[in-house]
Amino acid sequence: MTLRELATELSAKVLCGEEDLDTEVQTAAASDLMSDILARLGTPDVMLTGLTTGQAIRTSSVSGIRVVVVVRGKRIPEQMIELAAEEGIVLMSSEMTLFEASGRLYARGLRSNAEGER
Amino acid sequence: MDAKYARTQELFFELKVADVMRTNVITIHPEQPMSELRVMLREHRISGTPVAEDGRLAGMISVEDLINWLSTGGPDCPVREKMTPEPECLYSDQPLVHAIQRFDQAGFGRFPVIARDSGRLAGILTKGIIIEGVLKRMDKELKEEQIRQYRASHIFEDLLAEYKEIYLTYDVAGKDLDRAGRASTQMKRNLRRLGIRPDIVQRLAIASYEAEMNTVLYSEGGVLEFRIAPSEITMRLRDQGPGIEDIEKAMEPGWSGAADWVRELGFGAGMGLANIKKCSDRMDLVSTPGVGTTLTIRIFTEKEKPRNEAA
Repeated sequence: MTLRELATELSAKVLCGEEDLDTEVQTAAASDLMSDILARLGTPDVMLTGLTTGQAIRTSSVSGIRVVVVVRGKRIPEQMIELAAEEGIVLMSSEMTLFEASGRLYARGLRSNAEGER
Repeated sequence: MDAKYARTQELFFELKVADVMRTNVITIHPEQPMSELRVMLREHRISGTPVAEDGRLAGMISVEDLINWLSTGGPDCPVREKMTPEPECLYSDQPLVHAIQRFDQAGFGRFPVIARDSGRLAGILTKGIIIEGVLKRMDKELKEEQIRQYRASHIFEDLLAEYKEIYLTYDVAGKDLDRAGRASTQMKRNLRRLGIRPDIVQRLAIASYEAEMNTVLYSEGGVLEFRIAPSEITMRLRDQGPGIEDIEKAMEPGWSGAADWVRELGFGAGMGLANIKKCSDRMDLVSTPGVGTTLTIRIFTEKEKPRNEAA
């Protein structure tokens, strides 16, 4: 699905990276623990997380994840948005829970990375 | 090689008639005489042309029509009398692959192209024009790809020397959460710019990030060094304490000495050192409690090196 469709599905607000909304994504990961994201095989296109620090962006940058969706309607610090802009990562915010957001994206066809999950 | 042919096929589907057609069409007015057609065909070395009036297509006339008129020995007459009055056409927004099918079915050499909204003559299409257009597009894409690849991959290789090594050094401040990870993201960007293999950069970036986070979360700070040499990349992180009491335990996946505040940041799952080992070809960890820890990893950049023998 495109990022535009993803944002609509999650009723998400796009905080940075509006120009990339036509990008297609196929895989996703969801976690609040960055260690778990780093330890998995392969690189998902999208990360859903409740972590609202720069580390969510840095983890994504280092792993090659292109999109970060912060769930649970948490407040996102200005620093995090700036860092996302610097690193070229699309940052979105959704009011949904991690569970609902993941379920909806799975229902729309997004999957874990093809190479398999730990 | 297969990929190139597949791309050609793709292009036939992606391109529209408007993308390749010739737009400066030579046309003849229906009232112009056949004798003038003869001159026009010869001068421009074409074998046929659309007949148009005020930008609207009235018919098509070809060299065959000219020959037929000549062989009847008839008097000069307007093109209108000898042309094909309602010729088959293509629309500028049609996919090129449809145009190709029409050429096959119809057996003509050329089609006039009409703009769907205005109904005006927009261009002309022949098989030769199609080939020219596709080749131009492929050439353009090839050039763009070459530029992209050149920018990405040749810097290290372009340096001329008997032996080349690049060193990158970063300071990692202990407990500085705002900047934690900065060194790793910068290093990753640098190595991509140097044109190091993406899978190597990926492994190194993850190992570096885990190591950098360990330093920030658990130590008083340290220095992160990268040595990029032709056959391998070495990363060394030396911190100033407090040191690891039990290295074997620390290496166990899931074991963590993290305080609560660390876990609240999404770290402290105890996977860091195990992950670093997984990403590297050789790993060495030495520590003296009360003094500090030194982590060294090596990633081999040439093929066929055994991965991770006794760490």
